[in-house]
Amino acid sequence: MTGRLIAGARRRPAGFAVLLVIVLIVVNTIVQPAFASWNQVAPTLGTMAPFAIAGMASTPAFLSGGGGIDLSVAPLIGFINILLVTKLFGTPFGSPFLAVPILLAVGAAIGAINGVMVARLRIPPVIATLGTYFVLSGVDLDLVPNPVTASPNWTDHLAGSIGPVPGALVTIGVPLALWYVLRRSAFVESLLAVGDHDATAFSAGMNVNAVRISAYALGGLIAAIGGIALTGLVQSADSQTFGNYLLVALAAVALGGANLTGGRGGLFPSVMGAASIFLLENLLTSLHTSAYFIQVAYGAVLFVAVLFGARLFRQESTA
Amino acid sequence: MSASTSPTPPSSPSAVPGALPDSAAHETALRRFVRFGPLLQLVSVVVLFLLTALTITGFFTKSSVYATLVLASFLGIAAIGQTIVILIGGIDLSVPALISGANLVCTFLSGHHWPFGLVIVFVLGCAAIVGFVNGYTVHRFSVPPLIVTLATGAVVTGLTLGWTKGGQVSGQVPNWLTSFSSPIGRFFGIDIPPIVVTWGLIAIALSIVLHMTAPGRRLYATGANERAAQLAGVRTRRIWVAAFAISAVAAASVGILLVGFTGTGEAGVGDPYLFTSLAAVLVGGTSLVGARGDYSRTVLGALILTLLTTLLVGHGAGEALQEILFGVLILLFVGVYGRDQRVRDRV
Repeated sequence: MTGRLIAGARRRPAGFAVLLVIVLIVVNTIVQPAFASWNQVAPTLGTMAPFAIAGMASTPAFLSGGGGIDLSVAPLIGFINILLVTKLFGTPFGSPFLAVPILLAVGAAIGAINGVMVARLRIPPVIATLGTYFVLSGVDLDLVPNPVTASPNWTDHLAGSIGPVPGALVTIGVPLALWYVLRRSAFVESLLAVGDHDATAFSAGMNVNAVRISAYALGGLIAAIGGIALTGLVQSADSQTFGNYLLVALAAVALGGANLTGGRGGLFPSVMGAASIFLLENLLTSLHTSAYFIQVAYGAVLFVAVLFGARLFRQESTA
Repeated sequence: MSASTSPTPPSSPSAVPGALPDSAAHETALRRFVRFGPLLQLVSVVVLFLLTALTITGFFTKSSVYATLVLASFLGIAAIGQTIVILIGGIDLSVPALISGANLVCTFLSGHHWPFGLVIVFVLGCAAIVGFVNGYTVHRFSVPPLIVTLATGAVVTGLTLGWTKGGQVSGQVPNWLTSFSSPIGRFFGIDIPPIVVTWGLIAIALSIVLHMTAPGRRLYATGANERAAQLAGVRTRRIWVAAFAISAVAAASVGILLVGFTGTGEAGVGDPYLFTSLAAVLVGGTSLVGARGDYSRTVLGALILTLLTTLLVGHGAGEALQEILFGVLILLFVGVYGRDQRVRDRV
């Protein structure tokens, strides 16, 4: 029985996180009935969106294997947020039709720089992205030493509603849709193959470097969407807020059940991972738990999740 | 000296001892150092020191130089564990949580009139337990040390802040601790800050342990190839547990020493050490892959980072520029030293 459960979970590693999300939604609703009311859904999703997107943005780097990790996601989200608020709003480039492509290009370019450092220059991913982390946080701090409030703008809807649709469904949905399309192409297949065993993928004729660079670029692109979602939520530019997303993003991927050494996982599991962290935090806050205990619970969940994941993948990793 | 102690790049076959017996036999100690030693780091320290001394008026005085050395000592001691953990192929992100936690709890307990000796034993004991949990979990369940230490770090931060009511601590620490961490402290009558002398002694002791004793050998063997080490009879789990325990205790010691330096406990005092302890190790040229590098390199790394900060602050550069240069520096040094193998060489 247990064996079948484990086998089932192995096929669907996100199962644990999905289950956790369902349980937490139910418990949140019991503790705080207003949680489930329709007019609460959009703001709740809007608050969750940057977490979920940060989780998704960190995922491709992990999947690409070779010790892949992207520590620069959080400051990149901050950088996009700052760029949008202080440089684009109030100029002709501030309209969504110009701002969004510009920001996505910037995000993807910075991601690609990480990718080039990892794949071409062969700098270990932790160090390459740590370097980018420092540079970006420095630039963030330089651009806005003090928080700047945004003038009224279109991103407002993204944290609230666009007509009857919660705006967060768009910001979370776009990366998911993109991933869905990429899964129909050879990209995701190649990414997982490279992440599983790069030397084998190379022997099979895959362009390992191109796949890795694209993976980091994709992460940067998703982080840019996160920056836009964050702007919608906070309506200001601040060089400190992104710090909240650094650890959560990594935890979300681990909790989602992705294999952190590459080769297995997707964006949806990371959204579920981020959602469970967000819901747990929400629950503990509505129970008036002290902020310190929330941090303890958060660490404990991460700890358990990573052990749970290890149990799932043990046989495969030694095979 | 065998290959495991020198940071030999595996991609260059000429670096393997025995492969080219003629040139290897004639190689002098100086040439060895130029090829494998931390030459770039040493030059950087000297250049940064001269640059700081020449361009910042008032730096080249005993008090300023000592103050810089004291700051480097904190970083250097915090990076002891990080060095050892990285040498076996791990990474420890719980360092800042342990520094801040030890800092708070130490002040808190002295405020509650615990004897200070007991406070130290208690704090370091707790830290050792955290390190034990880190090392054991990572090794037993083969999970990424990055995530595990992140998780235990969050737990430690939450618990210590909760216990000390959000870090509102006040307590009197003994005078000897204050003068131990102070730039104007004296070491048995000699006019050098005791913490700097201690750091120097630790560096020498650690170098001897790493390079000349059996435990040091086992550590490098574990980092180079865990499976091979295991088959050769090294109990690698013990090595992992010990490395993380040392890392935690070293971090907690910095937390206690910082109480002496600032005179009180402060929440978040360890935060800057999250990445700077890592940066000191990496800028020193120790490789994240494991088994390449040693603590003397970290000493140089800590000096480079501290001098750079002093230089930048002296020229009125803000925190922003400091971080940017930190990032560039890490990429620069690692780009020269700790690069991975090509995929095509691993087929």
